[in-house]
Amino acid sequence: MRHRRTFIALVTLLSAILPVRFTYAQTDGRNVSNATLTELKLHGAKRSNYVTQSLPARSEKAPKPNLVEFRKSIQPILKASCIACHGPDTQEGNIRLDALDPNLQRGADVKWWIEVLGVINNGEMPPADADPLSNSDRSQLVQWFSTELQIASQVRRAEQGHSSFRRLTRYEYNYALQDLLGIPYNLAKDLPPEANTEDGFQNSSEMLHMSITQLETYREIASTAIKRAVALDPQPPVLHWNIPMQAAAARHWSEQDKQIAAINEQLKKDGDKQKHQRELDQLLKRFQQPHNNTYYRDLQSGRTVRSSWQYYGAKYAHAPTPPSNSLPAKPTHVVIIPRGNFLIVELGNQIPPVGTLRVRVRAAQTLQTSATPPSLRLEFGWRASNDSRALIRLSEHDLKISAHSNNPQFYQWEIPLGNIYPRNSVRTTAKMGATPNPSEYIRLSNSSISQGDIQIDHVEITGPIHNQWPPKSHNRIFIDSPNRSNESLYAKEVLEHFMPRAWRREVTSEEVKQKLMLFDRMRPEFDNSEQAMVEVLATVLASPNFLYVARATNLAHKKPNTNQQLTDYELATRMALFLWCSTPDQELLKLAHEQRLHEPNTFAQQVQRMLEDHKSQRLAKQFVQQWLDLQLLDFLQIDRKVHQRFDSELKLAMQQEPIAFFSEILTNNHSLLDFIHADYTLLNERLAQHYGVPGVFGNEMRRVVLNEEHQRGGLLTQAGLLAMNSDGVDSHPLKRGIWLLESLLHDPPPPPPPAVPEIDLADPKIAEMTLKQRIENHRQHAACRSCHAKIDPWGIAFENYDAIGQWRTNIADEPVDASSLLFNNYEISGMEGLKRYLLTERQDQFTRALTYKLTTFALGRPLTFADRSSIDQIAADVRKQGDGLGTLVTLICKSELFHSK
Amino acid sequence: MAPTTSNATPTVAHPTLGQTISALDRRRFLRGTGLALALPLLESATLLAKPATQVDTPKRLACIYFPDGVPMPLPEDPAYTDWLWFPHGNGKEFKFTKCLEVLQPLRSELSILSGFSHPSARSIHGHSNADQFLTGAATGGDGEYKNSISIDQLYASHIGDQTRHSSLVMSTDGGTGTPRGAHTLSFNRAGRAIPAEYRPKRIFDMLFVKRDGNAARRLALSQSALDDLLADAKSLRLTLSTNDQERLDEYLYSVRDAELKIAKAKSWLNTPLPKVTADGLELSSYMDAPRDYLQTMFDLIYLAFKTDSTRTATYQLGRENGVGQSDHLARAIGLNLSHGLSHDTTKPGGWKKFGLYCSFLAEEFGRFATRLRDTPEPAGPGSMLDNSLLLFGSASSAFHLSRNYPLVLAGGKNMGFKHGQYINHAGANPQGGPWNGGREPWQQEISHEDIPLSNLFVTMLQQLGVETETFADSTGEVSNLV
Repeated sequence: MRHRRTFIALVTLLSAILPVRFTYAQTDGRNVSNATLTELKLHGAKRSNYVTQSLPARSEKAPKPNLVEFRKSIQPILKASCIACHGPDTQEGNIRLDALDPNLQRGADVKWWIEVLGVINNGEMPPADADPLSNSDRSQLVQWFSTELQIASQVRRAEQGHSSFRRLTRYEYNYALQDLLGIPYNLAKDLPPEANTEDGFQNSSEMLHMSITQLETYREIASTAIKRAVALDPQPPVLHWNIPMQAAAARHWSEQDKQIAAINEQLKKDGDKQKHQRELDQLLKRFQQPHNNTYYRDLQSGRTVRSSWQYYGAKYAHAPTPPSNSLPAKPTHVVIIPRGNFLIVELGNQIPPVGTLRVRVRAAQTLQTSATPPSLRLEFGWRASNDSRALIRLSEHDLKISAHSNNPQFYQWEIPLGNIYPRNSVRTTAKMGATPNPSEYIRLSNSSISQGDIQIDHVEITGPIHNQWPPKSHNRIFIDSPNRSNESLYAKEVLEHFMPRAWRREVTSEEVKQKLMLFDRMRPEFDNSEQAMVEVLATVLASPNFLYVARATNLAHKKPNTNQQLTDYELATRMALFLWCSTPDQELLKLAHEQRLHEPNTFAQQVQRMLEDHKSQRLAKQFVQQWLDLQLLDFLQIDRKVHQRFDSELKLAMQQEPIAFFSEILTNNHSLLDFIHADYTLLNERLAQHYGVPGVFGNEMRRVVLNEEHQRGGLLTQAGLLAMNSDGVDSHPLKRGIWLLESLLHDPPPPPPPAVPEIDLADPKIAEMTLKQRIENHRQHAACRSCHAKIDPWGIAFENYDAIGQWRTNIADEPVDASSLLFNNYEISGMEGLKRYLLTERQDQFTRALTYKLTTFALGRPLTFADRSSIDQIAADVRKQGDGLGTLVTLICKSELFHSK
Repeated sequence: MAPTTSNATPTVAHPTLGQTISALDRRRFLRGTGLALALPLLESATLLAKPATQVDTPKRLACIYFPDGVPMPLPEDPAYTDWLWFPHGNGKEFKFTKCLEVLQPLRSELSILSGFSHPSARSIHGHSNADQFLTGAATGGDGEYKNSISIDQLYASHIGDQTRHSSLVMSTDGGTGTPRGAHTLSFNRAGRAIPAEYRPKRIFDMLFVKRDGNAARRLALSQSALDDLLADAKSLRLTLSTNDQERLDEYLYSVRDAELKIAKAKSWLNTPLPKVTADGLELSSYMDAPRDYLQTMFDLIYLAFKTDSTRTATYQLGRENGVGQSDHLARAIGLNLSHGLSHDTTKPGGWKKFGLYCSFLAEEFGRFATRLRDTPEPAGPGSMLDNSLLLFGSASSAFHLSRNYPLVLAGGKNMGFKHGQYINHAGANPQGGPWNGGREPWQQEISHEDIPLSNLFVTMLQQLGVETETFADSTGEVSNLV
């Protein structure tokens, strides 16, 4: 049961508490009651104990625990204030203080003492109905415990190293393959999803397991990946579709032509030219009306016709055309796509399976005056029968169509076809025109929230596109060499080039030899040496040397590297995994090879370079998703009957906001306290609409300044985070409270005890209650009260935000009551009050919590008591250096923890 | 509504959160790896072999699906007495209608079930739901598509390498079909469709004739690759601390498992195929002779079971919604397109025609079950049917209504199944009626809540010997069958 015990110990040991805190500062809070949140932020920073107090110095000699002082001053205070309830006679909460071992360095009760320090620090003990601790007693307790804990942590760290040996996570593996092979495909989707640790992180060494199914999948993926990177066959033919809108419109006119012909026919019969002209004019005038849906317009005659499309029979499919190098002629027809509408361009069953598809459209906005251009989205779809179809968004970013109609411009996307899933599975088996229908299409959608029409006069589709053949990714594997004709010599060169990049270290000649032997064994089974090499390289990528983050040890000695300090190669891997969620690039490997990476200047430059690289977006995405548990948002089922305005665009923006917000803070090295409150956030039009922030147009996220009326700022008020902690119908104070404690304060409440009574929903009285009444009822239960009194009040403060994070002042005609009393008797009033409290009283705790979370992610292993002093050191340093998030990331990279095993 | 969690780890429900909180110990890795690894790793083949398993009587599973639902005339309809698909009555006291009376001779060998369906598809149009019949996944009506493992594949993985073929996957239309328009009932662990074979000749050859020339080569390549990976892992292991070695051992065990799998596959390569002649099999039949074709497909399952070539088979008689070869099955009884029969029930004799078609399908299913009943178990007690569990059903009942699946469960007496009953959960007045052009039955107000079909799957899996308490979204078991 070792693991279970360790685990409990971890959770308890690492509950975030302030290391040093001398006063419980309610008075301060009152003094600044008129200050703005921004002022509170600054004020609180000045009062930070991390800034004003110094952490116990590290000493080279092993220090002794100060037990003399404990007996002299600490024990008497505990006796006077605590033992009555936590002593031999009574053990409230099952804690008995007089039986705990005060030796924090060697004793077994450290986790209990941390709890004790925590409740004293947060003013939760002694309870409100008991005699309070005097300020001097409180500070004496806190002083002694925090110093002793700090020293004990250092002692334990010095004595025991940590293992960060682990498998790559699914997402790291995916990025590593992409970066290593230079291909854009998402390859890891067949691997099982990773579990989260209690800390919420997927990259924890404890959690990353391996099974036969995974191993087999790794082998399959590696083989597919390399086959996609190299080109063993002649270049596939490139298909073109040049589609002027005249051609797309052509099949739509027949109905109108019929009506005109009918009138002309009438003229022949009755010969009334005047009447005929009048009717013709009327008809043509009617044919010139604009439409609410997508329609074509003949630019010469001004005639318009609604665009239509039906799947069956593939009647609307365009056949490939010969390539055209010249610009399309001056358009005679355009298609006009109003907001929320789309144009389907059906391409038949010949869209290639892999390679890059280029989609170019000549487009413009129709409004000449608009300062905010409409957005165009590219989608892919097919419909095999009336109940089997797919529609997949292809463009990650919508294009802003800013050209005006007197000067339309080309806009283009390049799409890796291999990523499109699912493709129409009958496209290779069924004939065009048959049912199930094998045809596929692209769809151009006007995805604007509020802007006007988009017009397009020409669509051009080409694929598979290769700028060179064989492609670059091929030449990265099958390198140029004078020895290409010498099969075994060349095989050795290919392996010597590929293996160090794949395994993130130098490889020994034996290792290369072993792979050459494999090549020799496999070679006779294949027609040519490249095919055999593909299989060998797939094995290099299924090797534990690629799949696991191991120590790049001195392999010649064939024994563990006991040095605590990471080598340059190991450092390169750790940097790449943290900042890019991937494998080191050539530059890092080169510096590691030259053993220069650890040099402070070089190291700092590299961290800077890596943060500036677009790949650092992955840090924002992966860390934020795991830190804030954004998967809850993926699973969220919003009741659309109650929240009719909730839609997929809003959900998407909700998912993006926290990540974009983190990126913005990181890139600009803004204060990490901006997570608690900021006067800006990142919005697109849909989310701005949701927040009631005017003047934001377009679908991309950008920085928007907030003011007080918006009732937003910081993570606590982001719609996605509020929504994911709802039950889909209404807010859920309990979930929000737990989330705040876990994710932001790193003070997770314990799981409910096994004997907690179930809520009896069959009881009609309970079934009738509202959720909040149920929560209240639950809290009255003796077995539940002790936990819930510490959770619920936090969540009540969010009550002004409904299930989809909209601001509200009334709930069912009653004014919202968002005021509550924290467990330490601090009264907070709504979101403003909550932020004020956090900024006044909990800045250090939040800083430490974020440091803890980010460091856990950076190291890829759970933190233990032994890491405690290092975490405090980093937290103290970032506070002293102005709280920048970029500073924090850099400090973590520079820390002793990051550089050691 | 309770949020779902993706973790398959043990969980405890929290009373007010309504969500699950993971139990503390999520570590799922085997205990005692240290012990095994004190021995030189993977050196000795004898150490690797699993303990010899007793030769038990094989337990088999066949799942057969027909599309487009069944006749569900309302009680006030004159056709109610004769052409309602479900029997009249309950428990042991029930009477087959003309739809199923062909099964009367097998009455004591089977049970009819009503009032079961997969919860996640209940509000989805019936034609989208063949995909989830055996999986219970929320495959939805539109948009993103994700499926999960089907019951037959779960059972196939339990059987592992004890048979030459892990499963037999067949359908009349062949291939995978399209999402929500499946041509297969079987989905692998990742939720990917397993292509079904529709050509009797191919199935026969695969089972009894053809040697896959590439298989030996593929196995040899895999073996070389695994040898190489093992060498990598062993060298790496030397450089690891004891704790880290334990972590890497999962990799070593995976390589070992993969090697065992290859060894098994190789041994099957060298095991002679069962001697079966194609006499009396219409191996080239197809929709020009639909009854011959159905009989041949069922015969192939019978032969595969009898020779213990596999212990699980799925057969999708037809794709949903017509538009495929299977739409011509109704020609066997002189009617035109099968799918149209489910639409034309307001026409004179409409219920009867639809019912006759269902009776034809039941007749062929019954012929298959009878053949199993009449064959003594080759290596054990009872008949083959006593050791074969057969599920016959569809994912819709009344017009496009994805509830109250029509289900027949037959055989498996030696696994503990008790038959001869109508387990009527739909009640006396099930949702039904023809489509009169207005709101279809599936869009109307729902008066009756079904039992999750996965509960039945749990019971089936348990009796098949799979130790499990859940499948997909199951909430329990179906106790009155065993």
